[in-house]
Amino acid sequence: MTDVRYGFIVVEKCYHCNDERSYFAAEHVPPKEEYREGEHFWDYMGSSQSVQFNLKCGECGAVVELGELLGLMTCAGCTDECDLNVLSRICESQRIWVYAALTYNPDEQMKAHMAEKLAVLSQYFNDRIRTEGKKILVVPGWLVHDVDMCHGSVLRDVGMFEVEPEPQTT
Amino acid sequence: MRLAELKDKLSLKSLNDVYDKDVEGAFVSDMVSDVMAGAKPASVWVTTQTHKNVVAAANLVDIAAVIVTRGRPVSDETLEMASRAELTILTTDLDTYSLVGKLHAAGV
Ligand SMILES: [Zn+2]
Repeated sequence: MTDVRYGFIVVEKCYHCNDERSYFAAEHVPPKEEYREGEHFWDYMGSSQSVQFNLKCGECGAVVELGELLGLMTCAGCTDECDLNVLSRICESQRIWVYAALTYNPDEQMKAHMAEKLAVLSQYFNDRIRTEGKKILVVPGWLVHDVDMCHGSVLRDVGMFEVEPEPQTT
Repeated sequence: MRLAELKDKLSLKSLNDVYDKDVEGAFVSDMVSDVMAGAKPASVWVTTQTHKNVVAAANLVDIAAVIVTRGRPVSDETLEMASRAELTILTTDLDTYSLVGKLHAAGV
């Protein structure tokens, strides 16, 4: 892991078209000013502390840039329409843990390189595992059917003080 | 040191099964992004966080066990996830500062 940068995931919304987007701000405080960009008027919605990093090969020094990585998430078992859910269930019996990579507004070019980058990221985590027989698999975020439905974990520091009530069993 | 030995030495209470593993260090943080970027595998992670995200982060970097300080309660959902990932959740009534002192004295 190299070029570790601490900062904020900033969520903003355009009050013209209601578009929402997020970006990473490597600053001491998240920028809160609203600003205009072409047709859009971006308004600050909120932020959470986060970290960005790249991966560097220990042998040849090649760097894989992961600046578009927003966070990793798991699925707690939502619907059969969610490919992350289906894949997670199949893999769990093999002791393979599946994490989906959420990215900042990926464009087509980013998507094209994503598979290679995520293979490197999976390899990075797997190289460090000490527990025998355990594996990590990082898959693209578009396998997720609906991020809000997964009820899994998103690895970022937001909502960490909120614990949902247990479902009532009668 | 093995996890079971550390648990006994420091009188930690386990909230699920003890998945005995080698412990090679400790990491202290209440942020999952820190753990992702900085924790070494086979460490015990000392935190006051009990959110299920703790399990997902610990599992990703192959943490040996999570130690929750100040005796904070841990939800069944978090414990169930931890057991599936073969991750031991330990608690202590000590605060983080006191526990870390004891970990250090124990040679971790
Ligand atoms: Zn899902």
